Amino acid sequence: MYNSVSLFIGVLISVMIMINGTLSAASGNYTAVVIIHLVGLLGIIIAMLPGKAFRFKLKGIPLYLYSAGTIGIFTVLFNNMGYAALGVSLPLALGLFGQLLASLVIDHFGLFQMKKIRFEKKKFMGLAIIFAGILVMAFL
Amino acid sequence: MFYMVISVLAGVSIVVARIINAALASRIGTLQSTFFNYITGLTFSFVFLLISREAVNLQPAKFGTIPVWACTGGLLGVIVIILSNFTTPRVPAFYLTLLIFIGQLFAGILIDYFISGDISAGKIIGGILVLAGLTYNLLLDRKRGD
Repeated sequence: MYNSVSLFIGVLISVMIMINGTLSAASGNYTAVVIIHLVGLLGIIIAMLPGKAFRFKLKGIPLYLYSAGTIGIFTVLFNNMGYAALGVSLPLALGLFGQLLASLVIDHFGLFQMKKIRFEKKKFMGLAIIFAGILVMAFL
Repeated sequence: MFYMVISVLAGVSIVVARIINAALASRIGTLQSTFFNYITGLTFSFVFLLISREAVNLQPAKFGTIPVWACTGGLLGVIVIILSNFTTPRVPAFYLTLLIFIGQLFAGILIDYFISGDISAGKIIGGILVLAGLTYNLLLDRKRGD
């Protein structure tokens, strides 16, 4: 059950990239990002209405912790640009490669106050296979 | 090539945002931190729109031609976050990462098929290779975790 929900999350993400990409092509990149965030904000407010989700304290939270939403703009913008040029599956594989690279660098140097996890050389193997897969997707 | 780099950067931005968001979520809760992400995201995307050339060329008449379903992506994003809240504590990270990627990949190949009209062998073979590499590295992680 939980496994199929996880699988379903992946399907939803791909459908979302297609939908956002379509909006972006019709309305323009920057207009689309505004609409996407506006609809998302309405969605999260609706999700928070039942229960006590709106009772929270913000005291003592450093300002930079609020920056994830701003970084998220670039995720949406880049996804929409990638979709227009390359479709869904190839940008997905490239995005995964970017995620793995970023995670490895952040772990190795302990950036963002994360625990330091030294890079294992064996992981070059996995990265190389992924990179080969990306080349096959892009050029075959 | 430019768009390939952009797509890699999309992945980098996901990781950085996820780390910062997790730190905020641990203080005020996931729904709440998501709420603030949308507030700051909406504010700054509006600023970006204003300083872009798009704001000058905005044609409200064109909006009538945009199908309603094309505006539901933001809603899907919220559903993804809520479902992830539900599965993350219940599915081991190894399976979670793999299953989400498998779902993404095969839905992505299907969508590409519906858009372009032909099924690409390169995307299926390449996708399986990407999956194999991901599985290998995740196995290394799991071995270290034990």
